Amino acid sequence: MKVIIIDPDEARAALVAEGLADVRPLEVRRASSFEAIEGELPSFAPDVIVIACDSPDRDTLESLREASSENPRPVVMFVDRSSPGLAEAAVEAGVAAYVVDGLSAGRVRSVLEVAMSRFELMQKLRTDLDKAKADLASRKSVERAKGLLMKERGIDEDQAYSLLRKLAMDTGRPIGAVANDLLTFAGVLKGDGS
Amino acid sequence: MSLERTQLRLGFIALNDCAPLAVAREKGFFESEGLSVDLSREASWANIRDKVAMGALDGAHMLAPMPLAVRLGICGEPARMIAPMSLNLNGSAITVSTALADAMRAAEPQSMQLRPRTARPLATIIAARKAQGLPPLTFAVVFPFSVHNYELRYWLAEAGVDPDRDLRIVVTPPARMTARLAAGDIDGFCVGAPWNAQAVADGHGEIMVYAAELWGVGPDKVFGVTEGFAERHPLTLSATLRALIRAAAWADEPGNRGELAAILAHHRYVDAPEEVVARSLTGAPPYALGEPGPDDQDYIIYHRYAASFPWRSHAVWFLAQMLRWGQIGPEADIAGTAEAVYRPDLFRAAAAELGAPAPLVDEKVEGLHASAWTLDEATAPIPMAPDLFFDGGSFDAAQPERYAAGFAIGRLRS
Repeated sequence: MKVIIIDPDEARAALVAEGLADVRPLEVRRASSFEAIEGELPSFAPDVIVIACDSPDRDTLESLREASSENPRPVVMFVDRSSPGLAEAAVEAGVAAYVVDGLSAGRVRSVLEVAMSRFELMQKLRTDLDKAKADLASRKSVERAKGLLMKERGIDEDQAYSLLRKLAMDTGRPIGAVANDLLTFAGVLKGDGS
Repeated sequence: MSLERTQLRLGFIALNDCAPLAVAREKGFFESEGLSVDLSREASWANIRDKVAMGALDGAHMLAPMPLAVRLGICGEPARMIAPMSLNLNGSAITVSTALADAMRAAEPQSMQLRPRTARPLATIIAARKAQGLPPLTFAVVFPFSVHNYELRYWLAEAGVDPDRDLRIVVTPPARMTARLAAGDIDGFCVGAPWNAQAVADGHGEIMVYAAELWGVGPDKVFGVTEGFAERHPLTLSATLRALIRAAAWADEPGNRGELAAILAHHRYVDAPEEVVARSLTGAPPYALGEPGPDDQDYIIYHRYAASFPWRSHAVWFLAQMLRWGQIGPEADIAGTAEAVYRPDLFRAAAAELGAPAPLVDEKVEGLHASAWTLDEATAPIPMAPDLFFDGGSFDAAQPERYAAGFAIGRLRS
């Protein structure tokens, strides 16, 4: 497991590291701020990032997750005991990615593992959702393009579909994209979108 | 009727626009509404969001687009957040390093004389850097879902700079902007007061354009709570809003701005030198050392011009920005989200209890008024300020998709 721990408080960072001591193989890097470790991020490719809840770098880390260009990593927040109830509330609210100090070593490890698997699951759900949306949009375009061809060329549905499929194969592009082009050009010919 | 709760814990970030919260506590407005409020300075917007969602905070100072993004499920765990009040208009600015400002002046001395200053000199520098094979410039904002991100992108794109392709936009905490600019890690930033003034005072930065120059009265921060909190504590929320409305009115009195600067500068709040905090509260804050801005500009507004009212048209403008920059796709329910999150009904109820005027309409067309005007559709007529956009555009909340698609540069999803 490759872990980055960002915490200005050395003692707390050491505590998290201690909780992972029996993980093999293990590579831990510690930094007091995100800036201090930013350059190492791409080459180190951590499995999980642990950050102190009171670090102002949280927003920066989140933005990396939002930017599609960066490789997103699960982030676990480390809560100080000075925020009573926060970790409990987080677990209750389904935000598993909070770990509170004073946990036994075994719990630190399991919280990180839960956070990682939950993150993988969320990533997969997101990809599946994007794909499902794209498939649906493509099916709609194909249906509309078929309708257009049937009307303009006076052919039946099967023939219209064959025509679209042939166009797709000839140009080596997905059938949804070909259907979209057809609809766009038809729109232009009719005077839409000037 | 007695309040469901009298003890509250509210969060804020160290910025001049947390003023209504700080003033409500320091000047006794919470107390006179029967509330005992613990204000908690938070380290990040993500913390504010998570703590409010989980109930570790009862409410907080929030970036206006944040509760919308949380509702849409694109910012942290989805939660039903609402914004029953706006905390301020304007307040932010775009600053670049003095080195970059000098380069821009050398490249285009004439356009650098214009106000509001456009990003065209910057476009020239970027093109020259590209031709020389130099790495892209880096600009920082405070959060992906912030008026600062949208403001910077709007300004850049108007001059033909593609904010995603022609430069790098990163996220940096507000209080660390000036240090990173000084260190050369970033070439510019867009952030709220007082951090732009701080960069000028330090001699590391020059303010290119104030938010007030980009949109005469643009929204910025809101007060946010969860819908669950509002439903379980309607009287407490109303009392909180009354205290915040009174505090915002106090903070906007010209005679109180000096005292406001002293309150905010305190280490409990913004924790910055008082004269720096004061710069964007009184008179004419500078563009650069020895170059004051116009003194007739409203650099930050807390109360006047119905500033505290959570306009649905503001919510829809933010959602249109999310559309324009590809943070959401065409499937997002814009009208439904704006209606669920921005709650003018709650604001009106609290204002009525104070006998304070409140708009009777939920939205207005933005960018139509070149001079002061009066909002007659209100419980009492409200004086309003000019609200033009710097590019001469206007915004009709009835057509956000059309607005988002109406720019040459954008990341519209299909």
